[in-house]
Amino acid sequence: MTSPISGRQPQAVRSALRILEEVAAAGVGITAKEISTSLRIPPATTYRLLNLLVAEEYLVRLPDLGGFALGRRSANLAPAPLTTPTAARAVMHRLRERVRWGAHLVAFDRHRLRFLDADPDHPPSDADEISRHLHATGLGRLLLAEHDDLPDGPLTRLTPRTVVDRDELKEALAEVRRTDLARQCGEFHAALGCLAVPVRAPGDRRLVAGLALTGPADRVAAPNTELIDLLRDHATELGPLLA
Amino acid sequence: MTVVTRIPGLRSRSPVAGLRRRALRPLGVFAQSVATTAPAGAMASVPLLVIAVAGPGAPVSFAVAAVVVGLVAICIAVFARRMAAAGGLYSFTAQGLGSGGAFACAVSMVVSYGMLVAAAFTGVSWYGSALLSRLWPAAGTPVVAAALAVVLAAVVAVCALRGIRLAGRVMLVIESVSIVVILAVLVTLAITTVPAPVAAAPAVPGGALGIALGVLPALAAFIGFDSATALGVEARRPFASVPRAVTATAAVTAVLYLVATLVQLAAPGAAVGATSPSSGQAGGLSGAAVLMDLGIVASFGACALAALNTLVRVLFSLARDGVAPAVLGRTHRRYLTPAVAIAIAVPVLAVVAITGGLAGVAPAAVFSGLLSVGTLAFLVTYVLVCLAAPRFLARIGELTRGVVVAAVLAVAALVATLVVVLLNAGAALLLTLAGLVVVAAAGWFVLRRRRPVALRTMGVYDETTTADVLTAGSE
Repeated sequence: MTSPISGRQPQAVRSALRILEEVAAAGVGITAKEISTSLRIPPATTYRLLNLLVAEEYLVRLPDLGGFALGRRSANLAPAPLTTPTAARAVMHRLRERVRWGAHLVAFDRHRLRFLDADPDHPPSDADEISRHLHATGLGRLLLAEHDDLPDGPLTRLTPRTVVDRDELKEALAEVRRTDLARQCGEFHAALGCLAVPVRAPGDRRLVAGLALTGPADRVAAPNTELIDLLRDHATELGPLLA
Repeated sequence: MTVVTRIPGLRSRSPVAGLRRRALRPLGVFAQSVATTAPAGAMASVPLLVIAVAGPGAPVSFAVAAVVVGLVAICIAVFARRMAAAGGLYSFTAQGLGSGGAFACAVSMVVSYGMLVAAAFTGVSWYGSALLSRLWPAAGTPVVAAALAVVLAAVVAVCALRGIRLAGRVMLVIESVSIVVILAVLVTLAITTVPAPVAAAPAVPGGALGIALGVLPALAAFIGFDSATALGVEARRPFASVPRAVTATAAVTAVLYLVATLVQLAAPGAAVGATSPSSGQAGGLSGAAVLMDLGIVASFGACALAALNTLVRVLFSLARDGVAPAVLGRTHRRYLTPAVAIAIAVPVLAVVAITGGLAGVAPAAVFSGLLSVGTLAFLVTYVLVCLAAPRFLARIGELTRGVVVAAVLAVAALVATLVVVLLNAGAALLLTLAGLVVVAAAGWFVLRRRRPVALRTMGVYDETTTADVLTAGSE
C-alpha cells in the first residue's frame, strides 16, 4: 500500500522535486501520464509521488481529478514579495495623521503574518515573532478567530498577562468573532497593547488583512470608542483595495 | 485573485460548503473508522460465531476475511488519496460507475449505516438491560430496555450535533477503554478457565467448508471500516489521513480479532457464559462478566455515534446532489454539522430499534435481523466501490496493474460471499431485501423523471477551489 520514503531514497526525493518543477513549468491541468512521459519516471512511481505531493498539499488535483496544479503550500517554498497598492498606502497615511499610536497593516498568508505597511515612526515587532505567538497578539487573534482554530503547540507565556489557558483563549476568540475586534493589553510586550480590526473582501467577506493600532497597554484597555470607529472606517476603505 | 477564476471548471466555493472544513486531526479520523467497526463488541461475540462453523480453522477464516478487507481497502484508498467527499463510498463510486452505480451505492450505504445505527441502539438496550437486571433483577423489562435505547439515542444525537471533533474524542476514549477491558477479560478467562470438553464440538463442520462458511461472520466483524471516508471534507490533510485511517482500521481490527479468536479457541466455553445475554441471566454476578458487558455496551454506544456520523454525512451529500430533499443538506450554523439529517435520522432509527423489543420480539432476533440486512448492504457497497476503482483510474489515466488485481479478487470474493448468504437466507430476510430493491428501483425511476440532472451529476465532493490553487495572479 503506502511505501514511506526514507532519507535513504534520494532518487525518490529527486523525482518528487522534479515533478513539482514540472507542474510549475507546465501550468494548470497537466496530467499524471504527461508528467510520467516527459520526466521518464515509471507511471506507478509517478502516481505514488503525485498522491504524496497532493496529500501534503504541495499539489492539488483539479475538479476533473486528472489534472494537477500547484497548491497554496508551494508558495511557502518561495514567498513572493508583497506589493502594497499605492491607494492602500494613502489610506494608511491618512490614518496615521489622525492617531498618535502606531498604525500597521498586515496581510495573512495561511498562518503567517506579513507587514503590508508598517508604521515607520513606531516600528512593530518582527512579523515572524508575531506569527509564532498568534495567541498573544491582536492581529494573531484575528487570524485564529477567523479559522476557529487554536495553535497546535503549547501557548507561550510572554508576559505575566499573556492568556495561556486554552479555554480562556477560546472565549477570547469567540469575543473577537462577536465584536469583530481583537484587543490585547500587555500580553505580548508588557508595556504595549493593540487594537486590531479585520479588513474583509467586499464580496465574500473573507479576511484579507488586519489593521492594528499599537499603544500603551493601559490606554488600549480604555473603551476607545471613537478610535475603534475610526479604525473600522479605514478598514472598510482598505477592503476593496486589498481583495 | 482575479486571474485564478479563469481556470476552467474551478469553482470559487466548494459544493459541500457548510461543514467545518479541514479541522479534524488524523487521530479523530482514525477513531471514526475504528468506532464504526466496534471491535470490542465484535471481539466478544463474533469469534464464537466463526468457531461454531469453522472449529479450529476459525483463525484461517478470519485471515481470509482480513485479506478480502485489505483488498477492499486498497480500492477505497485509490479514491481517498485523490478526492475528499462527505458521501464516502458513494461519491467515490460515482467517479467510476456513473449515476447508476452511485445511486445503488448510496441506497446501500443509507441502508447499511442506518441498520448499523439501529443495531447498535438495540445492542446497547439488550446488553445494558441484561446487565441492569443482573444488578437489580426487577429492571429486566422491555420498557427499561426501550428507555435505555432512547437515552442513548439522545446522547448520540447531541454528540453528533456538537461536531466531529467532540464526537471523535468521545469515540476514541470509549473504544480504546472497551478494547482493553474486553481483551483483559478474555485473556483472564482463558487462563483461569479449565478447558472442559465442549458439547458443541460435534456440530462443527470444520475443514475447508467450515473455514469458508466462517468467512462471512468474520467479514461482518469488519463492516464500517470505510466510514472515515465520509470525513474527507472535515479532515485535515484528508488525502493522507483518510486512506491511512481506513487501512489502519482494517489492520488493527484484523489483529484484534485474530487474538480474540486464538484466546477463545484456547479456552473453549470460557467466553460463552461470560456475557449476560448469552448466559441467559443465570450466571452469578462475577466481576469479569460485568466488566465485559460494560465494555460491549460502551463499544456499541461508540459504534452508534460513529455510524450516525457517516449516515448523516451521506444524507447531507445526497441532499447537496439534489437527489435527497434539500433540507437534509442544511448544517447547524454554529456547530457546522448536518443538523437536519441528525434530527430526522435519530428518531426514525430509535423507533426501528425499540419497536421490536416492545412488541415482544427477543432482542437477539432484532439485533441479528438488523445486522444481517446491514451486513449485506455493506457487502454490496464494497462490491460497487471495488468495481469503480479501476474504471476511475482508467478514466483519469492513472491505472496500474496492482489495482486491477486487487479489485478483481475483492469483487470475486465478495460476490461469492453474497451468493452463499442469499442461498442460505431465510424468507424474512429475502422479503426485506426484495422490498428494499423495489423501493430503490422505484426511487431511481421517479428521480430519473423528476430530477434527471441531479442524478447525472451525482457524487459531489470537496473540489479544489480557486483558493487552493497557487497561480501567478494570487496574492
